Amino acid sequence: MSTDIRAISDIDLWFSITQFYSREARYLDDLEFDKWVGLLAEDLRYWMPIVSNRIGRGIGSELTERGHLAHFEDDYVSMSNRVKRLATGRAWAETPPGRTNHMVSNVEIVGKENKMVQVTSKFLIYRSHMETDQEVFSGTRKDVLREDADTTWKVADRTIVLDHAVLMQKSLGIFF
Amino acid sequence: MLDKGVHPHFDHLIDLTKGEINRKIFSDPEIYQTELKQIFARCWLFLGHTSQLPNENDFFTAYMGEDPVIVTRHSDGKIGAFLNMCRHRGNRVCRADSGNQRMFTCPFHGWTFANNGNLKTVPGFKQCYHEELDMESHGLVPVAKIDNYKGMIFATFDAKAPSLEDFLGDMAWYLDMMLDRREGGIEVLPGTHKWRIKCNWKFPVDNFIGDSYHGPVSHGSAWESGFEGMPRRKKGYGYEGFQINAGNGHGFGARWAENEEQVYEMALPEFLDYEHDRFPETHSRLGDLRGMHLSPMHGSIFPNFSMLWQSGNIRVWHPRGVSETEGWSWCFVDKKAAPDHRDMVRIHDLQRHGTSGTWEQDDVDNWVQSTKSSKGYVGRQFAQNLSMGVAHEIEDPKTIHPDMRGRVAGFQNEINQRQLYAQWAKMMNGDTPDVPGATV
Ligand code: FES
Ligand SMILES: [Fe+2]
Repeated sequence: MSTDIRAISDIDLWFSITQFYSREARYLDDLEFDKWVGLLAEDLRYWMPIVSNRIGRGIGSELTERGHLAHFEDDYVSMSNRVKRLATGRAWAETPPGRTNHMVSNVEIVGKENKMVQVTSKFLIYRSHMETDQEVFSGTRKDVLREDADTTWKVADRTIVLDHAVLMQKSLGIFF
Repeated sequence: MLDKGVHPHFDHLIDLTKGEINRKIFSDPEIYQTELKQIFARCWLFLGHTSQLPNENDFFTAYMGEDPVIVTRHSDGKIGAFLNMCRHRGNRVCRADSGNQRMFTCPFHGWTFANNGNLKTVPGFKQCYHEELDMESHGLVPVAKIDNYKGMIFATFDAKAPSLEDFLGDMAWYLDMMLDRREGGIEVLPGTHKWRIKCNWKFPVDNFIGDSYHGPVSHGSAWESGFEGMPRRKKGYGYEGFQINAGNGHGFGARWAENEEQVYEMALPEFLDYEHDRFPETHSRLGDLRGMHLSPMHGSIFPNFSMLWQSGNIRVWHPRGVSETEGWSWCFVDKKAAPDHRDMVRIHDLQRHGTSGTWEQDDVDNWVQSTKSSKGYVGRQFAQNLSMGVAHEIEDPKTIHPDMRGRVAGFQNEINQRQLYAQWAKMMNGDTPDVPGATV
């Protein structure tokens, strides 16, 4: 892809992005984290705000804003460091590693620019850890993907909204 | 002290001279029920910070033990806390985590309460109740006492509890290192990490109050991958510092700086400018011991509040049954801190502590597995070991510094954990709570 994204047919674009997401999910599930980091742009913003319960006039302000506490507020360097940590052999939360399946669906292209696309998608991740620990993560991703000659796309901006107000998972040690 | 039957007194489960405790305190459902009564219905419990209720009619919901509460700022400015339980059938009158409301209408039959707890309207008061319901005695149940120390809101359900000042004791004086080191104190950022851990609530409290020993092993991977902690470690177990027990089960660990230079040596590079900026003010407000020598790192306030002072992190460990705990973690900053410093503190904190924290993740499975070990019959016949440095308390802490308060030991010493369980036994053995207005 080197032409203007707006000139690519919707079906070709959709195919390219869903293939990219499947590959990304496979890298995560197969513990190929270095390859996964290779799909992140160096100016990455990776953010997971916190959701809470609101009623009445508070409806609509369930998510924490920029500048508030978040579950993740990371960049390329800190995500690379999180991955480095896993490679030390002493990242106890992933020793032994959990077994995950990242399912990504409802992929919808919501915006196009010359070299970028905005995409929303849903995820459902199942994680089994050690003997009987089971975790399910569900939520929404809002991505800005940038065209890339080597990897077809790179994630330039990812906002992740996890559905859980009180996390039933013991930690957020996996990637989304 | 081993498990040879039923003990009438809880102090048989704690042997302070050997530093051994009976593992059944982490797994026995009856002991857990007694804790809800003897500890969580009697102690002052942390609810939040005044900066979380900036405006009239702001509220947030919280827990005291397993009891849900609403914390409100009434239109007269007063902060109150009430059981989040309708006096009719016990439904929760507020299902939001925070917001701004003058009234709470119960979703079940519509009883409506003002944010000072008063029962205001009851649908069908005339036609259904024949005006016979005593509205006045059916308001939301208020806590027995509520108070704040420099913005930190605590409450208790026990009318016989000592004052907050007496409950905190010398810990309040040490807490000034967090709450009063700059003019204006601290402010808690919006957003709370909330997550469930399948461990007994005492394990994280124990970990935060005094377990400086686990750092190099549990957190080595984070430290060497770019998530260095504060203060910076020089080598191995070679911290110079102290475990300080302030009494009443409260304690913390602090590094020691001999002089101003060493304060800066401990700072992470990205915080260095801020340290230079704030030091003169802190020093003049708090003096040598609290304003220069001590750099507090970790600590807990009995029973279930913990903090990582220099990472800008505070948290509560809510009990959720004998083998489950719900962590609530917040980030705080000096009110005076400029926006760029706030950003650095927040990012430093969340990348290390709380839900996705590269440090915290590695703690969790330790607590889960220690809890599981307390469940096996045979495993329970072997004591939990808290013996580190049991005969090595510093005899006269005033020799370290004349202002020093409480009991003090070296930085690698389990004095704070031993005193945590001593306080636990004391509360478990003590008076039952006096919940004002209780009707059964
Ligand atoms: S339970 Fe609240 S009105 Fe009936
Ligand atoms: Fe830890």
